[in-house]
Amino acid sequence: MLLSALIFLPLLYAAVIGALPRTEWIRPTALALSLVHLILGLGIFLQFEKGVAALQLVEKTPWLEQFGVHYFVGIDGISLWLVVMTLALTPLVILGSWTSIENRTKTFHVSLFALLTTMLGSFLAMDAILFYIFFEASLIPMYFMIGIWGGPRRIYATVKFFVYTMLGSLLMLAAIIALMLMTAHQMGGQMSASLLDFYQLQIPFVAGEWLTTQTLLMFAFAIAFAIKVPMFPFHTWLPDAHVEAPTPGSVILAAVMLKMGSYGFMRMAFPLFPDAIEYWAWLFVFISAFGIVYGALVAMVQPDIKKLVAYSSVSHMGYIMLGLFAFNIFGMTGGLYQMLNHGISTGALFLLVGMIYERTHSRQISDYGGLAQAAPWFSIVFLIVTMSSIAVPLTNGFVGEFLILLGAFSASKIYGAIAVTGVILGAAYMLWMVKRVFFGPLSPMLSKYSPEKLDMNWREKVLMAPLVVLIFWMGILPNHFLDWSRESLEHLVNNRYTYELSIHEKDGHDGR
Amino acid sequence: MDVKFSLLDLWVVSPLIALFLFSIIPLTVKVFNENREGNPFVTMSIGLLGVILATGLIGTYKDISGIYFQDALVIDGASVWLGFLIMGVTAVTLIFSRENMATRNRHFSEFVFLLLNAAIGMLVVVWSNDLIIAFIGIEMMSLCLYVLIALSSEERLSKESAFKYFVLSSFASAVLLYGLAFIYGLAGTTYLHELVNRAPDLMGHNLLFTLGVVLAAVGLAFKVALVPFHAWAADVYQGAPTPITAFMATGVKAVSFALFLRVVLAEVMVSPESQGLVHFLQWLAVLTMLVGNIAAISQSHFKRMLAYSSVAHSGYVMMGLIAAGMAGPMGDLAIRSVLYYVTVYAVMTLGAFGVISLMEKRSESSIHIEDLRGMAQRNPWVALFIAIFMLGLAGIPPTVGFFGKLYVFTAALDQKLYWLVFWGVVSSAIGLYYYLRPIVVMYMEEQGEGADAVSSRQLTSFTVAMTALLVLFAGILF
Repeated sequence: MLLSALIFLPLLYAAVIGALPRTEWIRPTALALSLVHLILGLGIFLQFEKGVAALQLVEKTPWLEQFGVHYFVGIDGISLWLVVMTLALTPLVILGSWTSIENRTKTFHVSLFALLTTMLGSFLAMDAILFYIFFEASLIPMYFMIGIWGGPRRIYATVKFFVYTMLGSLLMLAAIIALMLMTAHQMGGQMSASLLDFYQLQIPFVAGEWLTTQTLLMFAFAIAFAIKVPMFPFHTWLPDAHVEAPTPGSVILAAVMLKMGSYGFMRMAFPLFPDAIEYWAWLFVFISAFGIVYGALVAMVQPDIKKLVAYSSVSHMGYIMLGLFAFNIFGMTGGLYQMLNHGISTGALFLLVGMIYERTHSRQISDYGGLAQAAPWFSIVFLIVTMSSIAVPLTNGFVGEFLILLGAFSASKIYGAIAVTGVILGAAYMLWMVKRVFFGPLSPMLSKYSPEKLDMNWREKVLMAPLVVLIFWMGILPNHFLDWSRESLEHLVNNRYTYELSIHEKDGHDGR
Repeated sequence: MDVKFSLLDLWVVSPLIALFLFSIIPLTVKVFNENREGNPFVTMSIGLLGVILATGLIGTYKDISGIYFQDALVIDGASVWLGFLIMGVTAVTLIFSRENMATRNRHFSEFVFLLLNAAIGMLVVVWSNDLIIAFIGIEMMSLCLYVLIALSSEERLSKESAFKYFVLSSFASAVLLYGLAFIYGLAGTTYLHELVNRAPDLMGHNLLFTLGVVLAAVGLAFKVALVPFHAWAADVYQGAPTPITAFMATGVKAVSFALFLRVVLAEVMVSPESQGLVHFLQWLAVLTMLVGNIAAISQSHFKRMLAYSSVAHSGYVMMGLIAAGMAGPMGDLAIRSVLYYVTVYAVMTLGAFGVISLMEKRSESSIHIEDLRGMAQRNPWVALFIAIFMLGLAGIPPTVGFFGKLYVFTAALDQKLYWLVFWGVVSSAIGLYYYLRPIVVMYMEEQGEGADAVSSRQLTSFTVAMTALLVLFAGILF
């Protein structure tokens, strides 16, 4: 029941928020509810067994019987940390929205909790149709979030985001249905949408031909996820959406929603279409590597801090995809770890950019300079997060990027080399931006504000503290986190061609 | 000719009789009352009673599937389901009409009479096993509709709309009848259950029979507004009083599709040797989805936008219909997909038109998308309902529209109609753009003055709220 409670309780919270009579109560109530939910979510660790690759905490009941669709949720080492990260970021996002969301706070928090339901649902669903429903439904609250509280070009950005993502995922829907019909043919007449049954399918594949079933289905899934990740050249919605979204929207978008794409690759595209993925891996590796360098170069010339962070996301997501497509344990582990790191560091960067923007109403790098003198606390935190983002040792980013590079080099020297260039470029654009914003003489714009006003207040310190702690914790003791996922990742890497997932029973017998 | 029928036959037509008897009550009262219009609420209630009684009678059909009335009527699962759907649409239309200024006028008794008789015609169509009976049903329904449109208290557009619908619909009926004549001439029967046996030998071998089938298909394509036979839809939907537009966009469309389905299931569409008509219909479906969705983007008038959206949805239903034709006797999934889609489409469209009806202050009111500006502040609930209907029509989960799409896509993929599904996917994404437009205007752009929901229309509001709940949750629960 734990997983269902995690998925659906936020809807109840949304109803509670909706029924609150006074506006002042909304924020504290939402914060309290999200903390309660986080504590509830940490309960997973009590029940989750380490060292098991099978699916745990499973709940399965028939739902749409004519399609063989089940309400089927479960968790394993791949989804575990994504779920925990989603839960942990929610209170921070609520705390971070304290001043950046000024109007229609009720609608905002209702949307946020609805979004939480859909995000957790996508990570926990083990039935393809159920996954699709959550995956798609997550667009609605985010659409409202960007469209209502966003910047001046919010409507263009939010419609582009919605339509672009939807086009990809509708193709995936068609592919899911094709797989469901295939289960009916291969498994005795009854359709099934369970991923566990999908893994058993024999999907015909002919190397070198375009129109073979597996290649087409693989591309239908891969394009949907590549748009979500986003991989170059499907990334064009991301800078618009990120820049126009309000701070909390950007944080969730970057930290969680992009991960739905990379998670989709790990959960579906890899194990379902191993031959096609292997055959076309060069293409994905190429566009990942290209995206790393392209994102970094474009980030370098951005005059707007938020845009810079947005393009750095394109580059970082390129790393994650490169790591996953190395198909070895280093790359896969690094990819998963980097998903969490990116969530923390980019989420933190968006929060920080939001904080300073609320004060000065400018995101132009050229308006800044010498911020370190005026706002020391802000500058220290920003620097720590920057270190994490450019993967300095002892921070979490280092562990992830190191593993990815290790994986990439073992798979292909050339792409490893390209990825390393990306590391240098990444350090270059971030540090250059830091130099221009924080050092040098105090800029005329900043001198208009008193230092007390510019620096962080207690709320913002509380907000950033957990993120800073996590950056070092994950950087120094990565095994605290990776131990929980190792078994599942090894299982995926070693059995890619014969992947199957069993349901873990508490008494020690693994059944299907 | 010696006409014999049993008690069971009479039982089968009892809903028709019940509807007719109830439809003449308000009219009779009016005549005896020196032609004074009675209380519209009472008139509506009498109509609703008739509908409820007929629904109950249809509900007793569970165990009597078969062919009745000298093979003229067929009762099966589809008949019962469509019967319920028609009754539901009629009831909702009655409720909307009572509170809409364009329909609640001094001819409301006549209005109710005509509406119930249109419903009778519709029931005849969906139950008919005989193409001629079906044709009579269509004509009965259409004749009532011409007058229902023209009865509007709005003077200009409704008259134009009624006339346009009359001319084009008569033309389509003529083409349909012409096609039926060929079919009858060559197959020697108009009974669908006999046609099943004869059509496969004729289709593709006999050019005249094929011509007849194509003409019948074109006639039906007119009725369900497939591109390129869709041009009437936007003007007629815009000009007709909103409750009647809702009635036509949902009920009439469902009925026409039901007849289309029955014809297709008689295996006149495909034969082992000929795939010709399948290709023809596929192109119609693709064109319908694309043209409908693209044309809707540029509409500023809410009703016109929904009219084009309804054209596009005809294309999605066609996907299921073609799959049903190809699957033949094995097409249970495809048949259910058509019925399911038609139903969910009807629920969503009724709701959307209901909201428009709620906002029309006077009979001449016309609601533009721009008029929704600021709706989220003025009428948050109405704005929420509109958003739900739009997301439903766009097929976003978890609304019922998504499950409709899931059904028809599954049916089409089951028949390996990959390209058809591909174009369905592309046009759905295009369609998303204009379905999001009202939401953008209501919630995201600067607020301002605009239309307002008339708060005194409580029955309409209640019905709209119920439909919104259905759209949101019915897909998950059923």
